[in-house]
Amino acid sequence: MTRAGNRAWLRWLPAAAVPAVIAAGALAGSLPASAGDPLPPKTPEQVLQLIAQHREPALSGTLEQSSELGLPELPKTGPGTDSSNAWLELLTGPHTARVYLDGPDNARVQVMDRLAERNAVRHGNELWFYNSKDNTASHVQLPADGAGKRVEGKDSAVTPDQLASMLLAKIDSSTEVTVGADVQVAGRAAYNLVLTPKSVATLVSSVSVAVDGQTGLPLGVQVKARGQADPVFGVAYTNLSLGAPDASLFTFSPPPGATVKEVPAPEYKAGTEHATPPAKDSTHKPAVTGSGWDSVIAFPAGTATSASETSALLQQATVPVQGGRLLSTALVNVLVLDDGRVVAGSVPVERLQAAAAEK
Amino acid sequence: MLCALAAIPILIAVAVRLSSAVPAGRGPAFLDRITQNGLFVGVTAMVVSVPLFLPLTVGVVAGDTIAGEAGQGTLRYLLVAPAGRIRLLLVKYAGAAVFVVVGPLVVALTGAGIGAALFRVGPVTLLSGDTIGTGEAMVRLLLIAAYLAVSLLGLSAIGLFISTLTDVPVGAMAATVVLSVVAQVLDALPQLEWLHPWLFSHYWLDFGDLLRQPVSWDSFAANVLLQGGYIAVFGALAYGRFITKDVLS
Repeated sequence: MTRAGNRAWLRWLPAAAVPAVIAAGALAGSLPASAGDPLPPKTPEQVLQLIAQHREPALSGTLEQSSELGLPELPKTGPGTDSSNAWLELLTGPHTARVYLDGPDNARVQVMDRLAERNAVRHGNELWFYNSKDNTASHVQLPADGAGKRVEGKDSAVTPDQLASMLLAKIDSSTEVTVGADVQVAGRAAYNLVLTPKSVATLVSSVSVAVDGQTGLPLGVQVKARGQADPVFGVAYTNLSLGAPDASLFTFSPPPGATVKEVPAPEYKAGTEHATPPAKDSTHKPAVTGSGWDSVIAFPAGTATSASETSALLQQATVPVQGGRLLSTALVNVLVLDDGRVVAGSVPVERLQAAAAEK
Repeated sequence: MLCALAAIPILIAVAVRLSSAVPAGRGPAFLDRITQNGLFVGVTAMVVSVPLFLPLTVGVVAGDTIAGEAGQGTLRYLLVAPAGRIRLLLVKYAGAAVFVVVGPLVVALTGAGIGAALFRVGPVTLLSGDTIGTGEAMVRLLLIAAYLAVSLLGLSAIGLFISTLTDVPVGAMAATVVLSVVAQVLDALPQLEWLHPWLFSHYWLDFGDLLRQPVSWDSFAANVLLQGGYIAVFGALAYGRFITKDVLS
């Protein structure tokens, strides 16, 4: 009897061992790949120099973007997601995108949704947007003189490279630049450049840029908000291979049956920047008070109506506060005043209200 | 049951053929593409059948493996033969696995066939906006069927284990199907995000990655790893249960 009992116990051994093995494997996989410090130490200035000297890269990689801004998550499927709030959708929830770059003139970004995909393809002066969900394509013919410049538009600031150059261009005396412990991004050792606002009035706690130790290419950007341990916004490569991607990726022709919209370049610019209330003429010029991280931007009356018409979702996301409605996120507060003015800034609500009262 | 699966693409194709044009972006993914290209009937049918119909049939087959024999009273006769319980378990699982492979294949091929019969067939537009020829499109279709087969192997292992627990085949079938529904509900709750990569249904709808240009193999690899884990865990559980079980019927 005891022998049989022992043997019955033995039969269950695999059932206990297999989950244990899987748990051990999962734990081993989640540990940081290398804890060493393989890169030679550099001062912040040297890292900035490393970024400055990196060339326009040829690469293919996968980007993971995550936002915990505190905005309500939008439905990913169903009729609620039309193109007008596609940009808003990018700010909520995680996204995966594949990026292919080859010099300044060839670029392709594929935002991978479940059973759908959004594409932005640039080949020379040709710019194509394609959305598989409604099978629509937009074509933009860029002006020839702007060919060497950065592609402007909603999909342009997606790579850590472009985001970092935007951030680093704004470094001034209000920012403290340090180099943190090295990090591993997409299997590559990278310097961790940390930008900390000296001002305590801003919601931003720190911004860290992971800079590839070999090439100086920014591999990831993380933004942390005050009072939150986890980053509120992060974009980083999870997979990166340097070298020119297949040239056929950059030639795009609209698929048969797709709705093709021809967008002239200037109108295209205005059309895609409706995310921020545009300052087209002098009467609608925004006024900036303060400088650096805790500056407040005030838009005169008239901008709020156009902004709120853009998306009813924006209306839903705001809460009434004293003097207007507030769109509150972990990083940015936007106050839409009752008289139509809009004040926005990476500062607490009280500062926005004070700035609004000054006028 | 294979006939029931084959009826799904036929129903979709006939419905689309008889109705007016489907507006883009409405209904199941790819439904609006069918009128332009019949091959999409197969893809749409797979999108439709992944959440319920395929798990339902797999649950019936896997739940029936051991409990069905026990319910009919034939299990003890099978064990009288000097084949051994491990071998019987393996053969039963292999039978379920064959169904898991054939099921999605039937949906895909019937869909492509009825689509070709009712609609025109031409170059296929991928999610990335690139177009590929019909031959390569068939390869992608078969790849999706293979992806779904892999996806359902974990569920059939769970079904096999549940089937060893009871002598009532209907109970095992229902439990397996319910589990697949519960897993998908949990997968839809954003509050349980930490749990999602561990749910066997997590990658089920990610077969769209095979319709990108170039093909993204990340989800395929992750899916194989996940389903392998489920097969190992529930295979071991089924082994432990079936070897130590007192077979009375």
